[in-house]
Amino acid sequence: MARQGSSSLPLPFPLALLSPDTGRRLWQVSPVARRAGVKPGMTVSQAIGLCPTLKLCEPDPVHYDEQFSRLVATLATVSPVVEPAELGRAYIGTDGLEGLFGAPEKIVEVIQLRIADCGLRIGNGSAESAIANPQSEIRVGWGRGKFVSWVAASRAKPGQAIIVFPGEEGRFLASQSLAVLPLDPDTHRRLLQLGIRTLGALAALPEEAVVSQLGRAGRRMWRLAAGRIAEPVVGRVVPEPIVAALTFYSPVGERELLARTLDTLLDRALKNPRRIGWRVHVVCVRAELEHGASWRATATLKDPTADRERLAAPLRSQLEQSPPAGAVERLAVEFTAFAPGTAELQLFARDANAAARAGRRHALKSAVREIELRIKRPMLYHVIEVQPWSRLPERRYALIDYEP
Amino acid sequence: MKADRLRALNVPQQVKVELSECGDPAFVKRGPENVKRVETVGETWRVDDEWWRQPIVRRYVEVVLEGGGRVILFQDQLSGEWFAQMPT
Repeated sequence: MARQGSSSLPLPFPLALLSPDTGRRLWQVSPVARRAGVKPGMTVSQAIGLCPTLKLCEPDPVHYDEQFSRLVATLATVSPVVEPAELGRAYIGTDGLEGLFGAPEKIVEVIQLRIADCGLRIGNGSAESAIANPQSEIRVGWGRGKFVSWVAASRAKPGQAIIVFPGEEGRFLASQSLAVLPLDPDTHRRLLQLGIRTLGALAALPEEAVVSQLGRAGRRMWRLAAGRIAEPVVGRVVPEPIVAALTFYSPVGERELLARTLDTLLDRALKNPRRIGWRVHVVCVRAELEHGASWRATATLKDPTADRERLAAPLRSQLEQSPPAGAVERLAVEFTAFAPGTAELQLFARDANAAARAGRRHALKSAVREIELRIKRPMLYHVIEVQPWSRLPERRYALIDYEP
Repeated sequence: MKADRLRALNVPQQVKVELSECGDPAFVKRGPENVKRVETVGETWRVDDEWWRQPIVRRYVEVVLEGGGRVILFQDQLSGEWFAQMPT
């Protein structure tokens, strides 16, 4: 399992990221701000009270979606079984990878190297530096089942990994805090009042006693705490390849006409409903030539996209550099690999939240362009609640710059 | 992504207020040529706050100016100065 945070630059000043949902509370805080007592979840006014020099940052959820999509696409190069759990947390099934990579340590190393390769790290060092890069927030945990691997990842230091070997789950989990369990606050408080602070203490109770006190949820908690549940990673459904083709009435040899046809076919393939919510990772163009010959060009995009121009550019350059050896009778464009998420407005996207965010961002970008045209300055601010309960109106709300 | 400090919204703007015989605002002057008559006086209330550090004592008056603009006026009871704010 890999976990990737979003705020890890070693900043010399206190900085906090506002929550993308409300904008009223803090989401992430820098180490300097944390040292001043500022914590995620605090209101802006509480944080400013503790740290008057705190700088606030507008969150960029679309960027996070894109980064997370890159992470998921990268993990898919290690194993076909990847389950994105939430923004910043993804599970990867490693069953059967021993034959390819070796022991769990090697598998974890490959995962870290691939993550580093795709640029999801901090710093400019070599890829290998990401494995022990203390500035990186990427943490990896390896274990049997999703819960054990998640706990391992959450206990790993930034940029490092923890491996829990089969048979060691009970010992590893026993010392972990109750906070790692998916508990509601009331149950958590109740267990603490009973003196149960670790998974080991919970697992030491008879299973039926926990069930009689906490019901069905108690059974699941007890089994998780005891390492009795090993939930498998469930892979995503990836779309089938999308093909758009055109048969010419008479064979075509002009490159300009072929390039224009390529654009048309890319447009048609991008509009395919199965593509919605997915960006294209690998695109290939095939040509059937006169006399039974064929021609093929493939492009693998480092940064998957749903933008026609970006898809067409590498194909066009291949068309220029090594054109078909004869006139083309039929041209086909095929999308063969995809990455989840898209920065476009997608009404029927699989990830409705990501699509809505992308839509808002798109609308804001248009608004900024229009404002710049009209008044020559991009004056766009975000209103945040500071002390909405204050009896003094000027203390209730404030502005921060907004750059979509 | 750009970090920025907070900028307060709805900061009070100093105005000159002429009072009627009964002590309610009658005219609001924002500049030499910007004088507006008060048509209606609405709610009034008082705020005493932050007495433990820099005391804030204000008397708020909600008014409707000629032309229909609704404004909140307050008088700083410590300095006697008048300010206008947008209603929230």
